[in-house]
Amino acid sequence: MSELQYDALVVGSGISGMESALKLGDMGYKVLVVEKAPSVGGKMILLSKVFPTLDCASCISTPKMGATIHHPNLTVLTYSEVKGIRPVNGRYEVTVKRKARYVDEAACTGCRQCEMNCKVAVPDEYNADLVSRRAAYIAFPQAVPKKAVIERAGTSPCTFSCPAGIKAHGYVALIRAGEYEKAFQLVCEATPLVGSLGRACYAPCESECTRGRLEGPLSIRRLKRFVADLHYSRPRVAPEIPPSNGKKVAVIGSGPAGLTAAWHLARKGYEVKIFEAAPVAGGMLRLALPPYRLPGEVVDQDVANVTDLGVTIATNTKVEDLEALKREGYDAVLLAIGTHLGTKLRVPGEDLEGVMRASEFLRAAKLGEPLPVEGKRVVVIGGGNVAMDAARTALRLGAASVQAVSLEALYEMPAHPWEVAEAKAEGVAFKHSCGVSRFVGDGRVEKVELLHCVSVFDEQGRFNPKYSKNAGSLACDLVVVAAGMRPDAGEFGLPINPSGTLQVDPHSLQTAVPWVFAAGDVVTGPSMITTAAGQGRRAAYMIDRFLQGLDFDTPDYESDLPMVDKDVVLARQATYRHLPARSASEEVIKLKPGEFYPEEETLTEEQALYCASRCLDCGVCSECHECVKVCPADCIHLEMKQPEDLKVEVGTVILATGYTLFPADNKPQYGYGKFKNVITGMQMDRLLAPTRPYNNVLRPGDGKVPENIAFVLCTGSRDQTLGSPLCSRICCMYSIKHNQLIMGALPLADVTVYYMDIRAANKGYNEFFEQAKAMGANFVKGRVASIKEKENGDLILRYEDIESGEIRETEHDLVVLAVGVRPNLEVSELFLFCDLQLDNYSFVGEADEDRDPGATNLPGVFVAGTASGARDIPDSILHAGAAVAQAAAYLEKLRAGGNGAGMNGAGAYDASTSGTAGAVGAEHLASVSAGEVE
Amino acid sequence: MTISSTRDVREIIREEQSMRRRILALVQEQSLTIPEIAEALGCPTSEVTYWVMGMRKYGHLVEEREVTDEGYYRYRAVE
Repeated sequence: MSELQYDALVVGSGISGMESALKLGDMGYKVLVVEKAPSVGGKMILLSKVFPTLDCASCISTPKMGATIHHPNLTVLTYSEVKGIRPVNGRYEVTVKRKARYVDEAACTGCRQCEMNCKVAVPDEYNADLVSRRAAYIAFPQAVPKKAVIERAGTSPCTFSCPAGIKAHGYVALIRAGEYEKAFQLVCEATPLVGSLGRACYAPCESECTRGRLEGPLSIRRLKRFVADLHYSRPRVAPEIPPSNGKKVAVIGSGPAGLTAAWHLARKGYEVKIFEAAPVAGGMLRLALPPYRLPGEVVDQDVANVTDLGVTIATNTKVEDLEALKREGYDAVLLAIGTHLGTKLRVPGEDLEGVMRASEFLRAAKLGEPLPVEGKRVVVIGGGNVAMDAARTALRLGAASVQAVSLEALYEMPAHPWEVAEAKAEGVAFKHSCGVSRFVGDGRVEKVELLHCVSVFDEQGRFNPKYSKNAGSLACDLVVVAAGMRPDAGEFGLPINPSGTLQVDPHSLQTAVPWVFAAGDVVTGPSMITTAAGQGRRAAYMIDRFLQGLDFDTPDYESDLPMVDKDVVLARQATYRHLPARSASEEVIKLKPGEFYPEEETLTEEQALYCASRCLDCGVCSECHECVKVCPADCIHLEMKQPEDLKVEVGTVILATGYTLFPADNKPQYGYGKFKNVITGMQMDRLLAPTRPYNNVLRPGDGKVPENIAFVLCTGSRDQTLGSPLCSRICCMYSIKHNQLIMGALPLADVTVYYMDIRAANKGYNEFFEQAKAMGANFVKGRVASIKEKENGDLILRYEDIESGEIRETEHDLVVLAVGVRPNLEVSELFLFCDLQLDNYSFVGEADEDRDPGATNLPGVFVAGTASGARDIPDSILHAGAAVAQAAAYLEKLRAGGNGAGMNGAGAYDASTSGTAGAVGAEHLASVSAGEVE
Repeated sequence: MTISSTRDVREIIREEQSMRRRILALVQEQSLTIPEIAEALGCPTSEVTYWVMGMRKYGHLVEEREVTDEGYYRYRAVE
């Protein structure tokens, strides 16, 4: 954590914060300004104009914003938060959390290309939620600094859970935006196996999908299949082959790990050759997965992605001598040979004719080799996914019956529940909690004798089945044993584990021989396609580093943020529309046994869009990388780390944390949030601002130009029922400002103001009020009781006319609630080991507002502007001036009591030798630190 | 014509991306008001306002100069 020293900390950069910082900076003090938002300016920069002069708010604010950022004595940290302020030896130690923008601020030109191409739309808080912004955004057009921010709440669960590193949220967002080819290419950033994964992936992304807590997860895998099928339905376009880097890599095995590694290495310019022992490329994809799950032609398309890059594949070529490859000029070798040996049961009769390993059975079925299945009784031994594949394949090949025997009870089976359910639905019979005691037959298997299995694992969790009694026998003609797979890795002379897997460094995947790496099932044991693809990707990355002479100390390789909290995601919305996991038009087509075609259809475009539009954008940024691609300054870095918290020491603190606006939905009788043509004063300010969200002042309910607008004053102020007894001081005048601006923008519109009394005490305010009346604004003295909505979106206001005492109803087509000012309660959480005193209304308390404005109960801590109560802009500036004077005096006293260091010698203060005020402050702070003061 | 929607604003705004192509298809050949787009989509006008204004902000749509007699702007796709 860095240690820095400043004379003053200013928290917040609204008009009061900027004014405070600039004045202190002008006096020569070194000031740190901390602002939560990506830009300085606070709320004032978002206003249309200011009252009573109707000067442009931007014209007044932007020079101050620019001056604040560029002042030589000011350090401004935007997009940062003060996490704690604690008294230490008469000064304050401040911890500042800087949030990563994921943008190189020095390089960003503010061109907004990232924003224009971003695929995630969220409410624009800088336009009072009237319109969308993007996850990649610049806060508003006059932002200072005008630098982009990528909003990232964490890694989306789908992306986080993908072992292959596929940006699942990213391709879902691209599909939602109709960018199908870009979605395909985004998957290719991780692996070329888009088609295979689109059909046969077990989709851990879907298991983690936050929408699963609502109606069910998105069909993320099927979305991948949708883009893959679309891509492959078009003529292949030869990719640009990267220039050769002059180095060669041999990849042994053409399964998911080998193909993925080859793909990545080829894209880096390596000459890559894959050696495959089988007659076809694809490994388990081609030889083990039954065609109803993964048709061979899809694997071929994926393989072609790799060969299109110039990778060559030598099939029917078994490699046994790695040194020979080295001699042939290969700079590195990747072993990705998978696990293609079946595990033996080690029971009598296992060598009888008609007892097959599942790997042999599935391979023969996939290659179309003859199998003695038609009309036969088949028993499959095993409870995993491979057993389910074998059983369902046997049914498709015409078996008379298929009986699956598993050691596990139904609920314990390692196969995915849907695989078991689909096997059952197709006619596979199950016998659970049974193990094989022996196979019986005279040369050829005739029956399987079973034992009842009472437990599969021992107390240490090791596989160690225990049997009790005889569980009968099953007559059969063919037995397929799917009792696990293991690699055949011993032949290379490399160290192996007891399980038969190769020993590698788990980070670099390097074997004991430096130029030999290994990836996929041969390292992990039997796993998923995505896991193997992820291993291949990692191996390629590490081989590249090895061949460049770089080390493997690569913390950036997987730089994902932590997974976003799903509870936080779901809490972003008050309500959710019910969107079933499958669109109404989707039908699950079940084919009869004997048919090897895929059971599920490719999603139609309409179905894919429906599916993708269910995405909740959990991480906010989807990591689709479109911003990265289009940024002309190459300044977006999603791998950027969160900056370390900053620890600074300051002599004085000015709190300029501003106010919050009354949440209008807390007054439900006015219908805000429910009736779309009821808006707040801030929303009207945005509609009137030059940088407005709409093309004119329009009704949010239907885009109509309003003709009869009502203003309801004192919404959320002077209202005991809401706990807001105070007058907000600005609502009358900002509403009158709106009146005048509307009458300028919409000359035909009628404006009516419902008020209790107009408070126009400052200079020129009453004249401003009179001017509005003279322009035609209608002022009705009456408090609005309720608002109702008509079918056409017009609104009926029920109010008591105070002049006549009558209850009346009038109709308007737009209602503006002049919401009041509330304290910003976050300020009280800033202080550690000392309590900042708030006033009775929860604004920052001033010890003596009349004689000592700006001073809080804490020595050296001052408050400026609306943090201490409702104020208009001139009063806020004035109050900031008072706070600055107080802070400067305090600093001077600190200095006078110090050791003679220069004016900005913030570190020179010594509490034991300080002057009067400083000494009092120091004693107070010391006692507060010691817990002696309440 | 349905005006109001009780759906969460975040949810409506999120759908702008998926609605964009449908809206652009509607206003490719002719300019339409928000109620006319809403009618074609079968969606509340308040939701369509979010989408149209978002698309306008990001340069996909532009309004015609004149307002209809009913007080609506017409929007068309940007070439």
